[in-house]
Amino acid sequence: MIELIEKIEGEAKLDFRFANDLIDFVEIEFLTARGIENILKNRPAMDALVINPRVCGICGHAHLIATVQALENCYENIEISQKAKIVRELTLNFELIQNHFKWFYLVILPFFGKPQDPKKAVYASSLMAKAIAVLAGQYPHNSYAIVGGITSYITNGDLIKVRSLIDECLMFFHNNLVDADIDEFWICDSIEHIFEKNGDLVDVLMKIIYNNQTDFGKSYDRFIVFGGNSYFKSGKSNKTVVNEHVKFDYVQEELIDKSYAKNVYYKNKSFEVGPLARAMVNKTPLIRDAHRKYGDSIFSRILARMCETAQLLHHSKQLIKMIDQKEPSFIKPKVDIKQISSTGISSVEAARGSLIHNIELIGGNIKNYAIITPTQWNLGCGNKKNLGVAQNAMIGLSSIDEAKLVFKSFDVCSVCTTH
Amino acid sequence: MKPRILWISGISCYGNVHSFLTYTNIDIFLDDFEFIYHPVLDSTYTLTQIVEDVKGCDILLIDGAVSDDFMRADKSIKNIIQQYASVVEKIITVGTCATFGGIFQHSSYTGASGVHFKADELQSDFLHLRHKTISISGCPIQPEILVNTLYEIKNNMDIKLDSFLRPKEYFGYTIHNGCTRNEYFEYKVDNHNFGELEGCLYYNYGCQAPYSSGSCNKILWNEVNSKTRSGSPCFGCTEYTFPKIGLFETKKNMGIPQFLPLGVPKRAYLSIAGVTKAFTIDRLNKKLM
Amino acid sequence: MPHKKQTKKELIIQAALELFALKGFYTTTIPDIASALKMSVGNMYNYFKSKDMLAKEIIKYISIYLGSKLQAINEEPITTKEKTKKIVQMYFETASNRPEMIDYFLRVYLSNREVFKDGCEGMACVSEFVTEVMIYFEEGVKSGELRDQDFFSAFGLFMGYLGGMVFLNGEKILPNELSFYIDDISENIYNALKK
Repeated sequence: MIELIEKIEGEAKLDFRFANDLIDFVEIEFLTARGIENILKNRPAMDALVINPRVCGICGHAHLIATVQALENCYENIEISQKAKIVRELTLNFELIQNHFKWFYLVILPFFGKPQDPKKAVYASSLMAKAIAVLAGQYPHNSYAIVGGITSYITNGDLIKVRSLIDECLMFFHNNLVDADIDEFWICDSIEHIFEKNGDLVDVLMKIIYNNQTDFGKSYDRFIVFGGNSYFKSGKSNKTVVNEHVKFDYVQEELIDKSYAKNVYYKNKSFEVGPLARAMVNKTPLIRDAHRKYGDSIFSRILARMCETAQLLHHSKQLIKMIDQKEPSFIKPKVDIKQISSTGISSVEAARGSLIHNIELIGGNIKNYAIITPTQWNLGCGNKKNLGVAQNAMIGLSSIDEAKLVFKSFDVCSVCTTH
Repeated sequence: MKPRILWISGISCYGNVHSFLTYTNIDIFLDDFEFIYHPVLDSTYTLTQIVEDVKGCDILLIDGAVSDDFMRADKSIKNIIQQYASVVEKIITVGTCATFGGIFQHSSYTGASGVHFKADELQSDFLHLRHKTISISGCPIQPEILVNTLYEIKNNMDIKLDSFLRPKEYFGYTIHNGCTRNEYFEYKVDNHNFGELEGCLYYNYGCQAPYSSGSCNKILWNEVNSKTRSGSPCFGCTEYTFPKIGLFETKKNMGIPQFLPLGVPKRAYLSIAGVTKAFTIDRLNKKLM
Repeated sequence: MPHKKQTKKELIIQAALELFALKGFYTTTIPDIASALKMSVGNMYNYFKSKDMLAKEIIKYISIYLGSKLQAINEEPITTKEKTKKIVQMYFETASNRPEMIDYFLRVYLSNREVFKDGCEGMACVSEFVTEVMIYFEEGVKSGELRDQDFFSAFGLFMGYLGGMVFLNGEKILPNELSFYIDDISENIYNALKK
């Protein structure tokens, strides 16, 4: 039974097979691909900084940061100031946060008896878009991160403006999602405390329990994070057992017959990426508690994502304090990129999970470019013997509506998946 | 009466959709207009319903490039456009891909192009629709331009268009108008380094603002900033030439930029440049702070 | 009436050029020029407030003269190679037919910088001529015939070469007329600049 899932930055076709009134298997097909990797071929390296954000309109900034890091990793030696690194991490955080707000208020709410809330979604996410614009010129689609640093000179006024936007966003979080004190929320280690509070997030979590959906969405309970930074640790977590070593060498992509997407595995296994994965590898106390009670279900996934929102807002304020204004924004690389013939690989955490970019340069021009997106990890389409993460999560559910909820709890980005 | 809008995407990245979603008065907008279909927001119909037969519609928005091979809900995007184009009052091509082909004219779909133009060449498939089309180019669009244009349509206002069907109110300016680095451009202080407040990026860093149309430095981005103000060159994303090759480089022939400011004859530019080069203005050669 | 004043100005400039070439810049005075034109000195000062002002106007005049001839060549639908020869030809013809002009440029403008330092900074007073040279180079590079390089390297090669030949001619060192050398010099210049 084929169901077209829409409004996921495109569409996907899910072909459901039922057995005994339960979902027995589901095939996931992504329908379009643009061939960005081909569009990049033979262009000068820096052009990738303009083209790659256009892989996606909602997570294009993650693609930018992954691109500039991949380019910089083509150098043997290159110096990036701490200031530039911090500002890049800030704008990346802001993109994650705006994603999370949109997902919660536009995608998730309607599954729990409330209408979509565009006003809240746009209000909160546009605060973050504005914060990015203060530092990077505009959002969406800027290219302010360049090989050697960033193009913008950051003034004191800029940082003050950004901090007040973060504060306004935290106030929104408090007034709408969970009316907990952010400092409490930051270190909270029990979901019982959440249930004592009020807010849209609390309502959704309570509904999941009330509707007996706490088993929905469970999959392999296996998580992986590649894009370590000052907040996220890279590593993998098998249930709660964390191992901080992950290597790109073990990542393999595999073509799928029917779909334009490619599957991706780590040591031949499917892993979940995204906010829940990051929280498990970070051992975030609140999420560990949710996981203890409800495993890798939609409960934990939804909580992890909105919890990450508050934590990134909080962490960003700390990052701002660490900026040394005396440092330069940009340090000209000693070797011009036109002289570089090399390869570089990078990973950043995008909203939906780890994003990996791999570039090969010859004489400063792009010979090859490969991108592996988070949705490829979560929405892989395998056969019954090695199911993808979301496939596995949907099996055993009793209706397509239930499957849609689980599917969208992974937050799919169709354009990224097929790029 | 709320005008009914169908927003359908061709070969797209959804950048225009998400730029639209930075428009802070969206609740007021949604009170004044009805989306019969939207790529992200809830809409009257699903995609499947929209393509199965023609629903009542007043304005058709198309973003993304179009091609005979590209489908939405198993229907060719061009067919969807033809079907709705005959019932709507106005069509808007949203973004550079839908207007000129943009980045995704280079995608793997055959003959991908904008609805009316492939670069600056008029395409024949939708010629009969030109008279009711407005182009809003940009990669992505500035949301204010789209929203304002929709209100102008709703209120039956006169919209003057340029030869690419873009509203002159927004595209009559160049991106250069309003850049905070203007003085450096005027007096040809070209010794710019990235990460600095001072200097102009036109001469050495590929800035296309002096010859690209748009309002980025007039209606700022996200109400606060723009690329050139924050030290990035303008990549000319509103024009039919986007994306050029070598976007961070200024193509020069023996020191003269290949692309001169819009409408400025070569001899005029060189004379002006020559005069300014003869003088050194101390203030402009010092750091601002 | 502006037109009349303009032609009178040109007459003064021409007379001044001839006197400078004959007697030298510093030894020629405003009264000398006035007398050659049968004008009163007072009347002279209506047209040029001082000898320095006259000097600057003259260089601009020459720049416009050469610039407009160069523009005509630039606008012809011919190859850069053909343009090169025409430019050399034009320059040498000017040196032969109006030697006082080129003489002024070499011996007055280039050699007495102190006269031109206020109001003719850098290349401000020769902009019409320099602009056309820039356009010749730029179009040559754009059409793929000339190698892209720094403007001044190419400019020095072209102008230095021509100036040097004209200087030698002025010193009566060259055994042949300037026109004899047009072909070889054009070829040398084109070969040096071409891609």
